Amino acid sequence: MVVRIGLVTEGGYPYVSGDARLWCDRLVRGLGQHEFDVYALSRSERQEDEGWLELPPQVRRVRTAPLWSTEDDGPALGRRARRRFREHYEELAAVLCAGDAPVQGPSVSAESPSSVSDPAGLEPDGSARPSESPEPASAGSSALSREASAVVADRFANALYGLAELARDEGGLVSALRSESAVRALERACRAPGALRTAREARVPDLLTVAAHVERALRPLSLDWYEDDALGSVDLCHSTAGGTAALPGLLARHFAGVPLLVTEYGVQLRTHYLASADAPPAVRALLAAFHGRLAAEVYRRAALITPGNTHTRRWQERCGADRTKLRTVHPGMEASRFAEVGEAPDRADADTLVWVGRIEPAKDLISLLHAFAEIRKEEPKARLRIVGAAAGAEGAAYLGHCRALAAQLFPDEAEGVHAVGDNPVSFEEIGGPEAPTLAEAYASGTVIVLSSVVEGFPIGLVEAMFCGRATVSTDVGAVVEVIGGTGLVVPPRNPRALAEACVTLLRDPERRERLGAAARARALELFTVEQNIAAFHGIYLEVVSHSPVHRVILDDTGEPLPFAAPAESHVPGRWTGRPTPAPATGPTAAPGARVVARGGPRWAAGAPVRATTPLPTTEAAR
Amino acid sequence: MSGLGELDRPGTPAGAEAWDAQSGEWLGGQAEPESATETENARVDHDTDSPTARPAPVQPPHTTDRKPAPARRGAADPVKALMHRHRELCERAVDPLEIAAGLEAHGVTDRTATRFRHRDVFSLAEEMYARVPRADTAARHSHTDLATMPAPRAVWAVRALLPGVLCAAVVTGVRLTDGRVRSAVAVAGVLAVAFGVRMALGRGSLSTPPGTPAWRTPPGTRLWTYWLLAYALLGDGLLRAADDGGPDSLPTGIADGPWPTATAPVLALTLACVPAAWCAHHFAVRARRKLATSRGLEDFADSVQPLLLGTFALFVCALAALLALCGAVLGEPAAYTQGITLGALLLLARLLFVHGFTRAPALALGAAAATEVTALALDLIGRLPDCGFLATPVETLLGSWGPGSIPALACGAAALTLLFHTTRTLTRASAHAPADEPR
Repeated sequence: MVVRIGLVTEGGYPYVSGDARLWCDRLVRGLGQHEFDVYALSRSERQEDEGWLELPPQVRRVRTAPLWSTEDDGPALGRRARRRFREHYEELAAVLCAGDAPVQGPSVSAESPSSVSDPAGLEPDGSARPSESPEPASAGSSALSREASAVVADRFANALYGLAELARDEGGLVSALRSESAVRALERACRAPGALRTAREARVPDLLTVAAHVERALRPLSLDWYEDDALGSVDLCHSTAGGTAALPGLLARHFAGVPLLVTEYGVQLRTHYLASADAPPAVRALLAAFHGRLAAEVYRRAALITPGNTHTRRWQERCGADRTKLRTVHPGMEASRFAEVGEAPDRADADTLVWVGRIEPAKDLISLLHAFAEIRKEEPKARLRIVGAAAGAEGAAYLGHCRALAAQLFPDEAEGVHAVGDNPVSFEEIGGPEAPTLAEAYASGTVIVLSSVVEGFPIGLVEAMFCGRATVSTDVGAVVEVIGGTGLVVPPRNPRALAEACVTLLRDPERRERLGAAARARALELFTVEQNIAAFHGIYLEVVSHSPVHRVILDDTGEPLPFAAPAESHVPGRWTGRPTPAPATGPTAAPGARVVARGGPRWAAGAPVRATTPLPTTEAAR
Repeated sequence: MSGLGELDRPGTPAGAEAWDAQSGEWLGGQAEPESATETENARVDHDTDSPTARPAPVQPPHTTDRKPAPARRGAADPVKALMHRHRELCERAVDPLEIAAGLEAHGVTDRTATRFRHRDVFSLAEEMYARVPRADTAARHSHTDLATMPAPRAVWAVRALLPGVLCAAVVTGVRLTDGRVRSAVAVAGVLAVAFGVRMALGRGSLSTPPGTPAWRTPPGTRLWTYWLLAYALLGDGLLRAADDGGPDSLPTGIADGPWPTATAPVLALTLACVPAAWCAHHFAVRARRKLATSRGLEDFADSVQPLLLGTFALFVCALAALLALCGAVLGEPAAYTQGITLGALLLLARLLFVHGFTRAPALALGAAAATEVTALALDLIGRLPDCGFLATPVETLLGSWGPGSIPALACGAAALTLLFHTTRTLTRASAHAPADEPR
């Protein structure tokens, strides 16, 4: 069965300098049996100028839109449109300032999506979903807060889709989102009784900043991507990140009922918190509420969510993602370049420790050097090779500091009185005579050490595992998840523990070999490109089979054509050769037939009505 | 993050008592904090459990040979110590998730959180958020960043002075030369002044913010502006000559030819680029300062309106002085009404344009120019046989107030409308929003 996938990226895939482009490229190339439509939001003018990667033939079309500028301000809104805009924006602002917990707690995360009231029949495939039984409310208060947060989530969704529909009707909302009425709505919401304490302190520049940020985040609303010839025609919308990148998918789901799959290798909300640390508190509070609610809405509407690691998964659960929708798909890495080293017997010099990575303060090489000093007390012949380049000016300064420390701790030493000595700690770069390739750098070590204090997904550790090396790493980031018992893990900033673990491994070649083999087996099973692609292939089929898009095929006069999509079109395998470009689920549709997507029953085709009454202000306090 | 290491030292907790009244309630039910000596595979993620690998227990770091050092831990309340370490983060945070994100960025993991008797970083962050005192956090944030704006530098002043200087040079050249040379000087001079004006408007406070796309300029704005200036230079003379049955030759650039040229108002207007640039800069800076200090949008609008009107009045005064000066120096009538109305119109249009409002100035300039074109056309058509009645309104105006009344009326009406519009649009906070994000 050919699945037509709308791949939505933000500052990503087709651009040469995009984030996660390698992953997307491998995914698209690996799934040649499917068709991809790429919808790319570019992040800067420079990125656009640098051009695209070479696209494989299964990418049938690429549509791009800039996030960094606007093509035009959009049409000036008429009186009625302005009023509609004001209503929806005021609702949005009120939700942002409402002061309820911005995200649902973990106890709420098991809530089933169908139990949330669904305005305007936005859940066309509710019956097709696996039904989850909501956790029984443990206490009355938690049930109350759950209800309150569901109410807030619904209000946010209504406002968002209301703005989206207005943008679709009017052909753009850019100028309206920047206008004075938007700022005024924000001000009113901030000054309203029951607003967040921090929001109440918002001053005029804060309001302007928030309005500008919201306008930028909502730019996808003004795109014309949701028609039947674009995202409305795909079988599945795959957003490669949360936040703004997931917004087109959310709208495609709203307008055309296309199921949404969200992949996140890093949580947008967390990135936002870290990036906006300098902003005034009111701005941070409002924007955190906006991003938190957007994330919650994305997770609520997504058919499936694939976090890249447990850390991301925890954040997603925290932000209200339903646990039953989460499927962890680890990032895949090219294993072939380490195959030779991994399969060959261990040829490394005994007593050599290797550290590989980018040199920066977060890697805590100081700890490593202190640990090495302890190791030398036990194993005087031990050597340490630090392979990597400094990252940035800070990294360069740190490297100099480390070199000085190494020279202080370890005097140069030689074989005998007539030989030239050298330091047991060496600093090298990949490509140098000692370590021509990354694989050889790993191969030269009997034990690979990772000493970071802060780490995301430890790529170096995975590479070491591919090379079949025994590892000692600090317990940071996703290290424990990656290593999974096939290496030693010690607390960060504990040189003594690091040293003892290293000494243990240096003295026990049999255990080293066993751990290395286990690590390689684990890496080959979990972190290869192939497993990543296979996982997504399965997820695509699962999503498409669970949430098929219901399309009604119309004839020339606009009447529905019964049996226009034959039963065979839903059966796996190709029955009629490659399908014609236009209708995805109806390969044998009559020529000239139109496909319209139906996002729900006919009676629900209008604007979403407010499903709930506004939150009473007295209950809005956190 | 300097002291994180001590958190990770294994050891028994310093005391079994609750560290404060709040924590006393749940302390009893909690297990002792785990030490760092458990095996690793117990914490492996469920999805990624490796069936092949034999679990490799971590060696207990140094629990056997060394007594833990509880003294280094200090207080009996570890969370308090952590809060002290991340004091700034805690005081700044607007919600618990922000603390959680900050803690994670400093290397705190769920494993670390268990040492503070919490299930994960999120609940640790929640406790920290609940416990942090925040009374005057908002007061500490000042809005200095918005008020800072690059001061006008000498380069801008030179740029703003350029059109005036060029125009003065051209006027002098035209007066000193004769015949063919004079026409050549006049043509070259017009081009030079146009170039100077573009230079003056291209940078500095009279320019649109960097990154403004070209589509923002409505078509015709530039054309109408040129027309209005050309009319100020030649229009009155043409009407006057037409009244006498002329003109019999092309304008020569001097005031006493067959088609007299009014150089004084144009020279004054080009010189007025300097006060205009200063006024625009003054307005922008003061408005931003008011933006940073005002409590609300209404408050801002109320405080910006007098600023706007004051700035406008200043410019009008400066322009009047320049007109008087140029009239005296060139020995021509100063033509105050035409000059001031046209100058006011151009300044208001530019101010609106700089702040992102493009439709209203284009309309006002177009209306003024169209009025002038109509008046001129009616007057000229009126000379044709049987069309005399068409010219009657223009003739009446010319008869009662002179030829200067036509541009004065056209530009004055447009400037008044625009002034009214400006007091409504430029007093909005959204007009003074910081420029767009970098591209």
